[in-house]
Amino acid sequence: MSPVARCILLACLVLPLAGCEGVQSVLSPEGLSARRIALLAHVLFIGGAVILVGIVALTALSIYGGAGWRNRLASEKIVIGGGIVFPVVVLTALLVYGLAVTRVGGTDRAGPDALRIAVVGERWWWRVIYTDADGRRFESANEIRIPTGRPVELALTTADVIHSFWVPKLAGKLDMIPGRTNYQTVVAEVPGVSRGQCAEYCGGAHALMSFFVVAMPPDEFEAWLVREAGPAAAPGGAAASQGRQLFLRGGCGACHKVRGTPANGAIGPDLTHVGGRLSIAAATLETSPQAFARWIAENQHIKPENLMPPFRIFADDELDALATYLTSLR
Amino acid sequence: MAWRRGALWVGGTLVALALGGLLFAASGIYNVAARSGHFDVTTWVIELVLRRSVALHARSAEAPNLDDIDRIRLGAAHFQGGCAPCHGAPGTARNPIVKGMLPVPPDLARAAETWSEKELFWIVRNGLKYTGMPAWSAPTREDEVWSVVAFLRRLPTMDTAGYRALAEGEAEPAVAQRAGWSPELLRCGRCHDTSDRPSASQLVPRLAGQSARYFAAALRAYKDEWRPSGIMQPIAAELDEAAIDRLAEQYARLPGLVGTAPTALADDLSQGRSIATAGVPEAGIPACLSCHASGYGLYPRLIGQSAAYIRQQLHLFQAGQREQTVLGQIMTPVARRLNDRQIQEVADFLASSGREPPGGDLSP
Repeated sequence: MSPVARCILLACLVLPLAGCEGVQSVLSPEGLSARRIALLAHVLFIGGAVILVGIVALTALSIYGGAGWRNRLASEKIVIGGGIVFPVVVLTALLVYGLAVTRVGGTDRAGPDALRIAVVGERWWWRVIYTDADGRRFESANEIRIPTGRPVELALTTADVIHSFWVPKLAGKLDMIPGRTNYQTVVAEVPGVSRGQCAEYCGGAHALMSFFVVAMPPDEFEAWLVREAGPAAAPGGAAASQGRQLFLRGGCGACHKVRGTPANGAIGPDLTHVGGRLSIAAATLETSPQAFARWIAENQHIKPENLMPPFRIFADDELDALATYLTSLR
Repeated sequence: MAWRRGALWVGGTLVALALGGLLFAASGIYNVAARSGHFDVTTWVIELVLRRSVALHARSAEAPNLDDIDRIRLGAAHFQGGCAPCHGAPGTARNPIVKGMLPVPPDLARAAETWSEKELFWIVRNGLKYTGMPAWSAPTREDEVWSVVAFLRRLPTMDTAGYRALAEGEAEPAVAQRAGWSPELLRCGRCHDTSDRPSASQLVPRLAGQSARYFAAALRAYKDEWRPSGIMQPIAAELDEAAIDRLAEQYARLPGLVGTAPTALADDLSQGRSIATAGVPEAGIPACLSCHASGYGLYPRLIGQSAAYIRQQLHLFQAGQREQTVLGQIMTPVARRLNDRQIQEVADFLASSGREPPGGDLSP
């Protein structure tokens, strides 16, 4: 094999491994719970591989090792020991280890020092409700910010159908079931961005129902929380002012809330600080003025069946003004 | 051998007939003049085919309430503009030009009695081949076709005065004398509200005070056939751009529909009020007035609009009949989240709010 061909082959073999890195991989855990799952998975993979190699070796021995080896391997002791005792012991040990390492039977509720965030699955986005130090509740959407090193208890509910909340880098998946609240406590160990998504088919736009979790150092998080709890910034500049005017008169406030303005809708995502989020439309588009403009007019093409009607009534300059305004809501 | 000879005879005769027929058609001997009429036997065959065909095809139609006076009035108003020119009307004889047609369009005061409601519906909706009777220009608007049927049922018992009152509106002569009215405005005023009187039917929308941008957009949607209506499309098709803008300006200046949220409200309408002002968030229904009283000119003003019209349009939205326009694409998913009771309540609320006494002037 030529060196070039060898390099290409190597690249082809290594390429899939790149999928194990990144913002949404169970194999690069950054949270306590995810780390336990990853540890269990590695024990399983390595243990399984060792047993597989052993079985292959014994098979080879029985084929090429001659009659003596075949007789010995066919003895009653080996059959009982390898066929019954060994699996029972190994699987029992694995079960006990698995239950212990993932803390099955322990509480999913966090202690009193935990941060509590409510997440509501909606078709097809995530309503995120924070409670600040004074007990005031305020909403955000499609992005959850948490402090590192501190338990965060997520109260998971749904507004409509069954969804499933899954941030592979932080924890396992947990269903959001109509009529009940499921709790998941996560601890992010390092600052960073994780991507999560709905892991239970929930209708037309299910595949585009994702979100980001941003873990921040505790002091940065506290500062962010204070900003996030506050009202929207007043628009700076003529374009943003025109955008705000269009937003209010165009009826956007019927579904969306922008705190500090008359827009008080509760149907769609709270947009008070939408410009500061990594993505819009449940991690469908990266936040940018162009993305806002496209979303307003073309959202049914970008995310078919989503519950927002397409607003193709705005001229290009009006869309630009709206986009400028929304981007300024940091 | 005998059957073979017989078959040869039959086949030969058929070929000879076909060739003869072709020769006859190609020769030009047959007279297609409307003046020359049909043989009695031809007329008999044509009528047999017509009656049987209509009876068979009309079986599946489902009639709504045809005694609804607003439906009858709407049908009468359309009849006057759309049907009477050929069919005549009480007090108006058919034009001599029309009498030269073959067949002559029947006087519906009598002919309508010989057809059932379903058959009338089928004929008005689909037209009749070889007769000059056109199909309804917006076939999806069965509600409009039924309003014509509702009127046709009443027509045989109607005298000239009764017809005039129904189809033209009692104030017509007074309205027509008003100085400064453009001809197209006079035409609108035959069905729609004027400063003197309300619309001819609750199914005809109130236009006084409507936002000029929305008004013009609606007329252009009819003109470009984006918004289906067998009644409005033919009227809008005859309006040029300048006339549309002029009408929009004139109606916008009249006092009527209100563009801001009302303050004083009746208690019994609280449910409709709640939907209009706060929506039903758990059902995904936004507050109507967030758009319809926001001051954004492209959205129609609805406060003071006729309840029957709002109900009917919401049902049309639900059926996807207004999805062709950019405005309809916004409203369609919203309308589909409303149930019939909510539609009734919110329409009653919007209709009863913000009514202003008639007044003002339509002259430019």
